[in-house]
Amino acid sequence: MELAGYSCAVAIAKCYPVEAMTKDNHAVLVCCGPGNNGGNGLVCARHLKMFGYKPTIFYPKRPSKPLFDALYQQCEGMDIPVLSFFPSEAHLITDSYNFVVDALFGINFKGPVRPEFEPVIETLKKVESPICSIDVPSGWDIEKGDANGLQPELLISLTAPKLCAHLFKGKHHYLGGRFVPRTLEQKYELNLPPYPGTDCVVELKDTQEDGKA
Amino acid sequence: MDRINVSRLSFRRKGSHKKDKHRQEHFENSSEDIPRIKYISQTEAQSIDQQLFTEYAFSVDQLMELAGYSCAVAIAKCYPVEEMTKDNHAVLVCCGPGNNGGDGLVCSRHLKMFGYKPTIFYPKRPSKPLFEALYQQCEGMGMPVLSFFPSEAHLITDSYNFVVDALFGINFKAPVRPEFEPVMETLKKVESPICSIDVPSGWDIEKGNANGLQPEMLISLTAPKLCAHLFKGKHHYLGGRFVPRTLEQKYELNLPPYPGTDCVVELKDSQDDGNA
Repeated sequence: MELAGYSCAVAIAKCYPVEAMTKDNHAVLVCCGPGNNGGNGLVCARHLKMFGYKPTIFYPKRPSKPLFDALYQQCEGMDIPVLSFFPSEAHLITDSYNFVVDALFGINFKGPVRPEFEPVIETLKKVESPICSIDVPSGWDIEKGDANGLQPELLISLTAPKLCAHLFKGKHHYLGGRFVPRTLEQKYELNLPPYPGTDCVVELKDTQEDGKA
Repeated sequence: MDRINVSRLSFRRKGSHKKDKHRQEHFENSSEDIPRIKYISQTEAQSIDQQLFTEYAFSVDQLMELAGYSCAVAIAKCYPVEEMTKDNHAVLVCCGPGNNGGDGLVCSRHLKMFGYKPTIFYPKRPSKPLFEALYQQCEGMGMPVLSFFPSEAHLITDSYNFVVDALFGINFKAPVRPEFEPVMETLKKVESPICSIDVPSGWDIEKGNANGLQPEMLISLTAPKLCAHLFKGKHHYLGGRFVPRTLEQKYELNLPPYPGTDCVVELKDSQDDGNA
């Protein structure tokens, strides 16, 4: 989770360099869901803070497990503010945040979106600031996507891209999570591209060429 | 322009607004333009670690992952893989019985991902889940583990492009235990560059060791230790980019800015201020 969240922060920083983030002193919003995808978001928020961004976290459903308690406390220790409730209107987010990190749902998601998260997803769809989704655009079927769902501008696939990434229509697609042992990669025939040098992320281009799932 | 109302936000920790105040005070009191990075004592290093694991709620494996990763990144900057011509980028990683050894195991794993061919020497493995898992991760990456240390320095020099010294760190207290003595003595004679993690192994954390290991590279973690003033090698890097601002201020670490998203920063002129 630490390596995954760190690589998300690195990929985001490549696409949205901190010095170009002019709203409210590099302010960004990180929306964290109730599972591991949310955990990745918490780690990502912490590293974005180290990189000079000013993250604010939205974390409505915190699992009562030590891992997530610790990640949350680490964010508090870094002085990252936490929203008590989600802004009611999309333009409030657009005006205040340079981009939004979508760390709501990941590979364990099964539709439909739970009632408490519905308004969040609906509002995010209308936000005009770029959305950066961690691993899977939240709410999408992991394999079939969701034509009416969130349309992020950046997707950071972790470990390997998921089938739904073929339907990603945004600007930037990165692969992160450079920790797959060679034998495991071979077992699943992942054919991962080479990561440049010591980089923990690599850009994936032409994800839409092979539209067949 | 409508904005998110700040009163809706909850801040847990007070004091970060003071982040520039300290630098301001130093500005006014010192003839230097920028406050110098602090070289810390053994007790300060241990206290900072303790606070990271308690008050700041980091787990040992979390920070060890970041620390070991930054060591691999710094090493790769100084010894690029394509230049490591001996035996297909072969390198040796010597891991001690404590956390420094754990950093070494993480570092090996990342060096392997970067294209090096690490071999591990890990004679004393603590029977704790963290270290067992780190060891198993290295096995899963196909990294060989030496059953015994090469008896002669030239065997190491001939086979390995460099040696990562992850034997002893901030919890070391002299003298070196008998089982590690021959390892240290052999390493002193090795001609391949030695890259020490956090502290050159066997050095007193504050006073160094003129007769000890002389690494070519040192990667200080979190903050440099006092003995780093006596480091005479070629490359000194700082890694472990995870110190919360309030902790940095509390100990007046004056950490230099890390470039962009880099997890390491080169420290130059560590010998300028020889006063411990």
